[in-house]
Amino acid sequence: MTKVADEDPKPEAEIIRARQRERARIMAWLLGGFVFLLFLITLAKIGMGK
Amino acid sequence: MQMTNPAALPADWRDLYALTKPGVMRLVVFTAICGLLAAPVMPPLVIGFTAILCIALGAGAAGALNQWYEADLDAKMKRTAKRPLPAGRLDRQTALHFGVGLGAFSVILMELATNALAAILLAVSILFYVLIYTVWLKRRTAQNIVIGGAAGAFPPLIGWVAATGRIELLPVFLFAIIFLWTPPHFWALSLFVRSDYAAAKVPMLPVVAGVAATRRQILIYAIIMAAAAVAPWPLGLTGWLYGAASAILGAVFVVFAIAVAANKATEPKEMGQEKRLFAFSILYLFVLFAALVADRWLLP
Repeated sequence: MTKVADEDPKPEAEIIRARQRERARIMAWLLGGFVFLLFLITLAKIGMGK
Repeated sequence: MQMTNPAALPADWRDLYALTKPGVMRLVVFTAICGLLAAPVMPPLVIGFTAILCIALGAGAAGALNQWYEADLDAKMKRTAKRPLPAGRLDRQTALHFGVGLGAFSVILMELATNALAAILLAVSILFYVLIYTVWLKRRTAQNIVIGGAAGAFPPLIGWVAATGRIELLPVFLFAIIFLWTPPHFWALSLFVRSDYAAAKVPMLPVVAGVAATRRQILIYAIIMAAAAVAPWPLGLTGWLYGAASAILGAVFVVFAIAVAANKATEPKEMGQEKRLFAFSILYLFVLFAALVADRWLLP
């Protein structure tokens, strides 16, 4: 088991990279959405006269 | 095949999502929306949406912190053993950071989008669930669900306050309804999964006081809850539509609770009455709050 793991460390590195990529993509979408939401909130507040 | 400790890997977003207890969140979001829609003032759509988003995120944060604190307990119960922390797919520190960050974000965004009172209530509800219920009461007293139920009762009140900026009598009734609904709802469940709670040494009422005492308590709370749910109608806070719905739903709830109180079964597979009450209690809350909104918007 250990011998195989030493010979081929690729799968774990791939899993880590894939998860990091996936999380970074989701984070980018969430941050973009948050900025857009703040923009809309600002417009609504201006509309309410606050 | 390489052996990898899953908790040592970067957290999968699905596990972080599972930390927020999405199943519980459905009821939280629904009651919050109803609280907001029942208010006499309607905020702009984006403000209302953000208020509900913040309540959902706050509930998610509370759920994450609950799972962070109770990972050892969850590992002992069949119902919760597959959650990300007890299953070893996530490390505890990530869960803690995620919960604290999400909670702080939800409160700050609530203050920015709506008002300080709604933000304070949201912060109190998160802290109440995590500190009062999870840390203090759950492992110490059989009344854990009774007092802890207050945490789940906040969403409609916060929804209302996000819209109006004030605490009024009707949202206090909405708070009281969920507060009184929680014990019969959870005790019905805990009757047929009590071996799980006993194994985890959680002092739920059926484990501590026995099955018969729990059934009596379910009936008492069901009667008080049904009365509290009807009360806004004679007080002139709602119309006949809500009044009729709350009276019918409350009557059915009490009838089902009487059937539970009369049941002598001790084996989970013979607890059809308890399972029926548990299932109906969820429907009860959905229909009751939907009736409140319908009453506010459909009646002249």
